[in-house]
Amino acid sequence: MHNVVIVGAGPAGLSAAIAAAAAGAPVLLIDNNPRLGGQYWRLASDAVGEQGGQHYDLATGLMLINAVKARKEITVLSGAQIWSATHKDGINTLRVIQNGVEKIINTANLVLCTGAYDRTLPFPGWDIPGVMTPGGLQSLLKGHGVLAGKRVVVAGSGPFLLPVAAGVIKAGGEVVELLEANKSNRWLLSPFVMLENIAKLKEAFYYIKTISQAKVRGRFSSAVVAAYKNSEGILESVDVAKISRNFKIKKVRNVKCDVAAVGWGFTADTSIAGALGCSQIVAKDGGVVVKTDENQQSSIAGIFVAGEITGIGGAELSMAEGVIAGISAAQFVGCKVEVLKAHRKRRAKKQRFADALIKSYPVKAGWITWLNEQTLICRCEEVSTQDLKQAISELGATDSRTAKLLTRCGMGLCQGRICGRSVVDLVASELNISPTDTDRISAANRPIISPIPLGVLAAGE
Amino acid sequence: MSQSNLEFTFEGQKITAISGQSVGAALLAANQRILRKTRFNKNERGLFCGIGVCFDCLVVVDGVGNQRACLIEVKSGMKVQRQVGSDA
Repeated sequence: MHNVVIVGAGPAGLSAAIAAAAAGAPVLLIDNNPRLGGQYWRLASDAVGEQGGQHYDLATGLMLINAVKARKEITVLSGAQIWSATHKDGINTLRVIQNGVEKIINTANLVLCTGAYDRTLPFPGWDIPGVMTPGGLQSLLKGHGVLAGKRVVVAGSGPFLLPVAAGVIKAGGEVVELLEANKSNRWLLSPFVMLENIAKLKEAFYYIKTISQAKVRGRFSSAVVAAYKNSEGILESVDVAKISRNFKIKKVRNVKCDVAAVGWGFTADTSIAGALGCSQIVAKDGGVVVKTDENQQSSIAGIFVAGEITGIGGAELSMAEGVIAGISAAQFVGCKVEVLKAHRKRRAKKQRFADALIKSYPVKAGWITWLNEQTLICRCEEVSTQDLKQAISELGATDSRTAKLLTRCGMGLCQGRICGRSVVDLVASELNISPTDTDRISAANRPIISPIPLGVLAAGE
Repeated sequence: MSQSNLEFTFEGQKITAISGQSVGAALLAANQRILRKTRFNKNERGLFCGIGVCFDCLVVVDGVGNQRACLIEVKSGMKVQRQVGSDA
């Protein structure tokens, strides 16, 4: 029997690996981190020590990680970076670099669980050292035992801001501001779903307890709209604004801080799926995700997808999808196993919760008014708002792809992972049109999954 | 609490770290926030995404440029420098 090949060892990938192995399939699990668990259960090295206080549900994570380690059918490739993925005649070819050596993996089946990263929005000063993503701040705490600074502003939108703020407090830092851009009562939009997923509410209250014990008061309808540096070039303060329902600035005050962790939910990392040719669609939140059927199969037979890359929904939905993807892949390689009704029911319940979250935490168009002409949009290629506007008004760009070619916006090392989504919105806003799905999907496509040194290629066969 | 168990240098200055930490995390713990200066505007940059996505924390490690400080695990005796411009 052929291996089930799984990419990504977070909640979805671990669940898929265990489900496929339990069905009798040998599994190859490829992950780019040094340790299993993904971003959600990011674990520190033994020397750094377990950062237990930073995880809400570490027990579940350790259970999955230990199960993967214990099963002899599962082979793990950790610290392995996939830099190229191609699909031809039913075979997927992955080029993987581990410890500077390239491995080529050919497989008819694949389970992609490549996760997501923080969604960011540009604002004046967002490139100053000290401004970072909430996910970055949390990964430093969970994975390295390092608090990024003493006085921390946590801002943006979405429930993820709560564990990040609680993590800062547990690590001995001061949350000087906790700012949610949306209004406080948006949870009331989906009361039934909230009650159905009461465990998630308990998790929220767990963080809120830590936050309120530290006497931190979260503010709604508020956002970080500018950052300022000191004479050394390091973050010194941010402008905190009261904003309207549509994110237009109403009133601004300046707040001193060492770190500003600003994030707007998540963007799915569909790079590998996109490179293989899996169909992508635009989700309700405007993000690009991989299209999937009820068995978690993508538009390409034999390629299954699970977790955040099918739509942002959190660890529990990822696990539910991972189990189904693992079973489906095992079935694909010939195991006698089936997805049960109970699996689908569990997934549907978590999906309803994910949909409610997306409805509760929209990113409204008014963020564009926070920018000035000098504000950087593309951090890699140092392209400003003014450069983009010029490409439209002087050079006649009428879509984001042309604007990108003219300015190099989104063509740097990150390949538009950070700015791509915002550029589509900015160009459309400047032209006074709505972005098309084609605009959004093309901004998410990248031919090379990760830049690698040429020497590694030269050293390969 | 864990103990620092290795040493490396940043811009020639001794920094202590714990094995398993990334270069970026160890530098932040030592309050070194500026990891590079950009190609065109020579602006300061530091850790941003923290998980290998944004390529903003590029440093030169033992003479090799374009290394993501957030991903590279710190090793004893490493010589790390700020990256100025596109490469070493």
